[in-house]
Amino acid sequence: MTLLADLATPVVMGILLGGLYAVIALGLSLVFGVVKEINIAHGDLVILGGYFGYVAMTMLGIDPIMSLVIGIPILFGIGFAIQKYLLNRAFRISMDATLIIAFGISIILESTYQLVWTPMSRGLTTPYALDSISVGPVHVPLVYLLDFIAAIVVMLFLHEFLRRTYLGRAIRAAAQDRKAAHLMGINTDQVYAFTLGISAAFAAIAGVFLGLTFSFTPVSGMAFLIIALGVIVLGGLGSIVGTFVGAIVFGVVQTVSGHFFGVAAQMLAAYTMVLVVLAVIPRGIFGSR
Amino acid sequence: MPEQALLKVSNIDAFHGSFQALWDVSLSVNPGEIVAIIGANGSGKSTLIDTISGFVHPAKGSIEFEGNNISKLEPFHIVKLGISQTPEGRRVFPDLTVLENLIIGSYNSKARPERAQNLKRVYQLFPILEDRRAQLARTLSGGEQQMLAIGRGLMSNPKLMLLDEMSLGLAPLIVNELYKALREIRKRGITILFVEQNVRRSLIEADRAYIMEAGRVVLSGNPAELREEEKVKRAYFGA
Amino acid sequence: MVAVRRDMKAITAKLRGRLVPLTVITIVLALLPITGIPRVWILYLFLFFIYLAMANMWNLLAGYSGLIFLGPAAFIGLGGYTMTIMTWLDIPYYVGIIAGAIVAALFAMLISIPVFRLKGIYFAIGTLVVPEVLRYVFMLWKPVGGPLDGLGRGYPVHGIIDVSRVEVYWLGLAVAIGSILVVGYILRSKLGMGLAAIRDNDSTAESSGINVFNLKLYSFVIAAFVTGLAGTIFYIYQGAIEPRSAFSVQWLVTIMLATVIGGEGTEEGPIVGTIVVVLLYFLLARYAEISLIIQGVILVGIMLLAPEGIVGSIKKTRAYRHLTQLASRH
Repeated sequence: MTLLADLATPVVMGILLGGLYAVIALGLSLVFGVVKEINIAHGDLVILGGYFGYVAMTMLGIDPIMSLVIGIPILFGIGFAIQKYLLNRAFRISMDATLIIAFGISIILESTYQLVWTPMSRGLTTPYALDSISVGPVHVPLVYLLDFIAAIVVMLFLHEFLRRTYLGRAIRAAAQDRKAAHLMGINTDQVYAFTLGISAAFAAIAGVFLGLTFSFTPVSGMAFLIIALGVIVLGGLGSIVGTFVGAIVFGVVQTVSGHFFGVAAQMLAAYTMVLVVLAVIPRGIFGSR
Repeated sequence: MPEQALLKVSNIDAFHGSFQALWDVSLSVNPGEIVAIIGANGSGKSTLIDTISGFVHPAKGSIEFEGNNISKLEPFHIVKLGISQTPEGRRVFPDLTVLENLIIGSYNSKARPERAQNLKRVYQLFPILEDRRAQLARTLSGGEQQMLAIGRGLMSNPKLMLLDEMSLGLAPLIVNELYKALREIRKRGITILFVEQNVRRSLIEADRAYIMEAGRVVLSGNPAELREEEKVKRAYFGA
Repeated sequence: MVAVRRDMKAITAKLRGRLVPLTVITIVLALLPITGIPRVWILYLFLFFIYLAMANMWNLLAGYSGLIFLGPAAFIGLGGYTMTIMTWLDIPYYVGIIAGAIVAALFAMLISIPVFRLKGIYFAIGTLVVPEVLRYVFMLWKPVGGPLDGLGRGYPVHGIIDVSRVEVYWLGLAVAIGSILVVGYILRSKLGMGLAAIRDNDSTAESSGINVFNLKLYSFVIAAFVTGLAGTIFYIYQGAIEPRSAFSVQWLVTIMLATVIGGEGTEEGPIVGTIVVVLLYFLLARYAEISLIIQGVILVGIMLLAPEGIVGSIKKTRAYRHLTQLASRH
């Protein structure tokens, strides 16, 4: 069946791409599930991760994935600080304030990128960025496979972290019952800051792999934020596996649309899917079904 | 010579937004006592507990624990100082297992070193929790969840345990079990302050009691004294 | 019909105190361009009018209806493009203005059903997506978008050669004053009271018999209409349109900034806020690159330090309360 053979590559690519989306979405999902806020600036943090890898590569000659050793702690710190000094305070004012302030942070980040790195699109063009792997009729770029592997690693880490550490348990507890968490002696403000820090650390990873996979501009963050939201709504809040599955669905829809309708339609397909998901899937106030 | 009260609440006013829930409330709890706060719904008893725990800061007056003023502290800090609350409705973490619920109870840094010890004690007190330790908390029955909630409170190494409406919605047999456990807990040196609607039961279990109505303390004393009061006699027939 | 007239009388009576100063200011502003003020002033005043109209509408949604709507660019772009395309079809621009507003309003009605099902944060992100999707659509639609953006100069609006700057200025003034009147009217009408109930709490409002969906729909459509209107007038001034700026998030930043600085949920807030924003743009005109960064910092700063905005903060002060007490005694 030539149709199947034709589709094999886009589908596999879509699955692997889903890995990238999973890493992006997991950070957002963590914050949303625990702190009950949507960090509108998440996409921009991912892009920050991408720029960080870019700087490491072009100015320091370090492979972007290697640079994560420094990139992850730095972005963790940024996320931690944002929650601790800005968003925790915003929370006390109102939900609307949190939204507006997160939006403000997003604007600051995007325009800083424009200032520092110009609106030109950048990519992490490492020597292996153009390699591809062939298995039978399937032909995928190496970086897509790396995306997928990164997703598995991140998911395993998150799972173990949430299960085995006090902080991880505290995060889960705070997500389920905030007042009871307080009664355990948990400083929820601190826990929230850690949560956003972890989310930003994931964004650092996502950013590097994003940069290896696509080129990006200062304003690319929003696109990935929107896709990530679609993924977490589709996959169900609080479920690592669900988010992973949702991400894969999005990846496949995007690559298959690209196969049939051309590259330009890819984003449009993804956005349409987000709108459909938002419209169709029932959810409570914080997304639990 | 009077011992220093473990907990001393002095003339506090407390608000929910612009609504005043507590009016000039005072009470004290001495080490080793079991003290009851009795009142109907809306009497302010839960607000009082929440104020002691730090969720509400009193607009007037002070709260002292072991001689230190805790009225302005955050809830997590107060837990660390040694006051644990078993909240109304139990509020166990539904998607954590029984064991995880207990473990998270020892989150505060003072309690962590003694986690294994405390866990053993909790299992001794409530063997069923050990049986069910791998089950998700939401699969437990009401009585078992209450036991879990109490056990969780114990894991934080408290000097004072606050219990809000422990017997709500539970069968009398289970309630007996729970009060038996409370007496055991007291034997271990932990002071207990519990909130109840049931007058009769409270006066059996407590060393002393405070009766609240519409945000004020209207009566206080030991059970014998209180049983003579008109209000209490009326409540007996109603309870 | 009688009921409506009675309503209008009542509402006009409530507005009366403000109508006189408003009329005076309108006349002064209308005469300004003829008195030979510098052209730059006319431009900034024009921008003030346009932004004010949009800010008033955003305030209506966010400050009064509880809808933090992140997609005003959708209405602006749709309005602008409708008008532009109509001029290509040799339809006069003034018809295009109304048509643009109507298209924006129709679009609002169209998306209202799925969009209002989204609560809180989902509503915000959902509305953020809408202008993005429109931008892609218009970029892919060959005649009006395409990779070269009309050779970088945008797609021109036809048939406006004879329209003078002053005439467009007056159009801007009209929509700005109109927006003030629209908001003033709504707030004092039954719709306004319903909105106040919704803003405080959706579900309580629903259970007291208010049709929450309908009220939100009315505000939404009205806001879309006026925002679209302002958008079309802007593009008449601009003379050309292209997808990236028509649906750009910069619109949202400007409008949000104006509303928040002035004071969300107050009637005068958008006016004060827009003045500040236009002044800010004037001061930052030479520093285009850091302008957005500063706008973001101000947005965050205001929300953290003075979330009620300038007007809101003034209203909270004891001095203001004294004044209003004195006023009501006479």
